[in-house]
Amino acid sequence: MRIVIIGNGVAGMSAAVAARSRDAEASITLVSSESDHFFSRTALMYVFAGQMSSRDVEPFDRGHYDRMRFERVRDRVVRLDPSGKKLELQSGNSLEYDRLLIASGSVGRMVPWPGSDLDGVGNFVTWQNLEWLTEQAKRTKTAVVVGGGLIGIEAAEILLQAGIEVTFLVREEWFWPIALNPDEGTMIANHMKHHGCDLRLKTEVTEILGKDGAVTAVKTDTGETIDCQTVVVAVGVQPQTGWLAESGIDLDETGGIVVDEQLKTNLDDVWAAGDCTSVVWFNGVRRPEQLWYTSRDQGRVAGYNLAGDQQEYVRGTFYNSAKFFDLEYTTAGYVNFNFEGEQNWYQRESDREYSVRVTYLPDQSVVGFNMIGRRWDHRPLVEWVDQKRPLEWVLDHLHEALFDEEFMPKFRLQEG
Amino acid sequence: MQAGLLKTYHRSYSSRGLWAWILALALFVFYVLIYFTEVFDPFSRSIGLGGKWDLYGVLYTLFVVGGGVVFLRKHGNSRYQVWRTISVMFVQTVFAFSIPMIMQFFETPGFFFSLFWPLKMDYFYPEFILSYPLPLILYAFLGSLVLVPVLTFFYGKRWYCSWVCGCGGLAETAGDPFRHLSSKHPRAWKFEMFSVHAVLLLAIITTALVIVNWALGRPDASGQVVALYPAFSSVVFKIQGFYGFVVVALLSGVFGVGLYPLLGSRVWCRFFCPLAALMGLIQKFGRFRITVKDDMCISCGNCSTYCEMGIDVRMYAQNNQSFKRAACVGCGICAHVCPRGVLRLENKWDIGHLVRQSKERILDL
Repeated sequence: MRIVIIGNGVAGMSAAVAARSRDAEASITLVSSESDHFFSRTALMYVFAGQMSSRDVEPFDRGHYDRMRFERVRDRVVRLDPSGKKLELQSGNSLEYDRLLIASGSVGRMVPWPGSDLDGVGNFVTWQNLEWLTEQAKRTKTAVVVGGGLIGIEAAEILLQAGIEVTFLVREEWFWPIALNPDEGTMIANHMKHHGCDLRLKTEVTEILGKDGAVTAVKTDTGETIDCQTVVVAVGVQPQTGWLAESGIDLDETGGIVVDEQLKTNLDDVWAAGDCTSVVWFNGVRRPEQLWYTSRDQGRVAGYNLAGDQQEYVRGTFYNSAKFFDLEYTTAGYVNFNFEGEQNWYQRESDREYSVRVTYLPDQSVVGFNMIGRRWDHRPLVEWVDQKRPLEWVLDHLHEALFDEEFMPKFRLQEG
Repeated sequence: MQAGLLKTYHRSYSSRGLWAWILALALFVFYVLIYFTEVFDPFSRSIGLGGKWDLYGVLYTLFVVGGGVVFLRKHGNSRYQVWRTISVMFVQTVFAFSIPMIMQFFETPGFFFSLFWPLKMDYFYPEFILSYPLPLILYAFLGSLVLVPVLTFFYGKRWYCSWVCGCGGLAETAGDPFRHLSSKHPRAWKFEMFSVHAVLLLAIITTALVIVNWALGRPDASGQVVALYPAFSSVVFKIQGFYGFVVVALLSGVFGVGLYPLLGSRVWCRFFCPLAALMGLIQKFGRFRITVKDDMCISCGNCSTYCEMGIDVRMYAQNNQSFKRAACVGCGICAHVCPRGVLRLENKWDIGHLVRQSKERILDL
């Protein structure tokens, strides 16, 4: 059997490994236009910062492909012919498959502002983005980062560390309102400012100005003109599925590939996994889940199914983590989902950038946690959400979920 | 991001650039000169110190303390790192430097309370240790045979390797900028398992032979010890000399420190230290382990990159496997640099429920 996987990211690689564990004989081919080796996309910022080398961010040693007997094709797939079970590649070659997995991931979204096609405007999502930003940084004194999400804050952080002045434009009223409340957002914002980041809330780009084809400044809706040589646009990512337009595959309105519970598309013998895939969330909404963890889990399920299993993708209770400069963030369950009558128990440890937020429903059952500063183990937190534990019980047991390094200050619930 | 680690790969001296090679060469030359010549003696005496080893002690302590201050500036946001670093600076300054120095001042030979057999082979060489007063003899014996195994069983070898040891002390302080240079290649792991146990075996054999040879000696009429079997004695003497030259001088000194800028700061500890090998064996059965939080690893690789012992921590983290590794010195950097807080160093009895193997154990991402 010929299994072909489009994409060499975490979804593609997880799928390949899972498929190999079920089928020792199948030929497994990974196609990628981005890189020869699987690397951790979440670590791009560390390569930019010089904290890691490009080899360090490869999760497997390079013997992995040989040991697993994975073939690699470094090319871009330009067309899928589902009836002929064939892929057309940019080089003019073609590739036949018996079973296909599309794990083409996503690319950074670009907003069509006037001037967004100027030199010096880019995203920070792919390996090529990293190479671009590394070169760009050499001739940059001041940069503008647009978009108040996780990639935005990472871009701001690494540019600052490289000695570049950064203005960080965020459209929303406080930082990352999709996950944080105003107090948490303000804490993060102050933390960023403390690190020298010029954060501007409630500010949008209206135009990017340039000279001789290169960026010189950004104009905002507050009437300001901010001089800069680089603009990093971090307003989200979108599924990389444009090349599938004529294939007859079902896409949702965001461009994500529509799949069933087994991650199978509407085409025969074609599955999809990872950032490019649109799945049904716990609340019935269909959209892509663009996280490392979900890509890994989807890839694994899809890999088993490529090899003949009939497994279903079960997301389980949501969890995620991030790091804002020095502040670690852990979330479990569902915060900021605006359930009817939901309330929040919230504590800031005095004088520290440590916060705990527990969201609960009118019947006192806990639905979500938002933790900043300290390290928390998401496993018990997820368990408590699943068990619908009451708030009081959870607060009594909260210390059991701590995962701090040894010798860190003791966690205490404040009175009242 | 961990501020102290930024630009590691952008700097020549910490990324095997020209400065790294120059530094390595300088260290080689220095160590060859100090071990095998007397060129530092005149200078050492001219500044009021004893022989060259006094000068070496001063320099060593300065580097541990200076490097420790730099390390604290980098990693001071972790209390584990703070306490650990203060500990190695304190032990080096007090136990490895000041106390032996003061003892010499009172014309008694210096004694190192922070060293144990088989790192300090002399402590089991009868002729050496029996020249000390009884409490120190007891300390050397009980320390090596009881204290080290017991503490290692309860807390892992980290209580020594990254909190007390002088070699570890230099590696953790002045050697810190080079920690990422340790090889993560599976071949390096294989070599390490062979070499470190080979040195341990050699240390045990050498010690045993020296003791047997001493037991076979008989004092003659004038009180001089005379070997009963001169041929055997001369062989033992050669083996003892070989160990001193190859293991102590070459492997721990010239290569151990000389290779810092090229192969990382723990070349000696990882590949050759017999005490580390011994404690590693105990650690495998002890309480210390690194616990991995399930399904939270993003495979970024900071942990593996900054593991000075060359352990591929990420492999365990992305497989949801809590683990014990004989090599781990418990410096805690992997846990500290993890941007998702996936790892924690722990001493615990109940390994069962924590080592939750993932559903697909071997091939998991």
